[in-house]
Amino acid sequence: MEKEHWIQTIMNSTNGISAVMPSDDLLANIQLKIKQQEKVAPTTVWWIAASITVLVTLNVALLQKAKTRDNSTNSYLEHTLNQSNQLY
Amino acid sequence: MSKQSVIFETIYHEFKVMVFNLALHYLQNIEDAEEVTQDVFVKVYHSLSQFQQKSSHKTWIYRITINQCLDFTKKKNSRKRFYLFGPKSENEREYLNTTNFEHPGILMENQEAAAQLFAVINTLTENQKTAFLLSKLDGMSNPEIAEIMEMSISAVESLIFRAKASLQEKLAKKNTDYRKK
Repeated sequence: MEKEHWIQTIMNSTNGISAVMPSDDLLANIQLKIKQQEKVAPTTVWWIAASITVLVTLNVALLQKAKTRDNSTNSYLEHTLNQSNQLY
Repeated sequence: MSKQSVIFETIYHEFKVMVFNLALHYLQNIEDAEEVTQDVFVKVYHSLSQFQQKSSHKTWIYRITINQCLDFTKKKNSRKRFYLFGPKSENEREYLNTTNFEHPGILMENQEAAAQLFAVINTLTENQKTAFLLSKLDGMSNPEIAEIMEMSISAVESLIFRAKASLQEKLAKKNTDYRKK
């Protein structure tokens, strides 16, 4: 009985709830957030994304080029070494 | 002032109390509720031109607020989980253990009991919590809740019934545990 009464007291604790007013500077804060978001135009975002893509592509291309050049230098060295180190 | 800004300000003044109070019911913290209210109205401002009048402004803003509250809770919980695994400073431990229940709309003499009730409400499923809060605290009818949650009226009735049953069951368990101590 006591348990039921306790549960009902807890369940009814929100009775008589009243509406709360938000702070007065809320609208100003919202307008500030909107302005901050508007400062970065979508076109700017696209330009930045495109620039990053070009940079990454260039880096990959240059790395691959350097790798192939390394391979050709190695084979040239092997070739010359074989010639100069003849045992007979 | 542009036409969009004028419409936005009218909407803001009409729905600011509704949005703030729903966020307060969900999050039980003034600072969090204000943050969510700001995010809701920023979203409303940006989506205003795409609003197709298929539902009323009220229903549309209710949906945005509910989604924003759910996202906020998820983010906060994941931050808490991150703290659980990492090394704990004094501040982090405090953050994990605080029960920062803050709801100025609840009568002073009911604050303690309400804090216990909300602790249990927060363990309900997302849909049960939404339906219960809209019905019990916002005083909305089942058809109105059904429109907001995009469900049938019978589904809403079932959600509210299960939420109440679950709350009573959990409170009974809490009471038994408390007596054992």
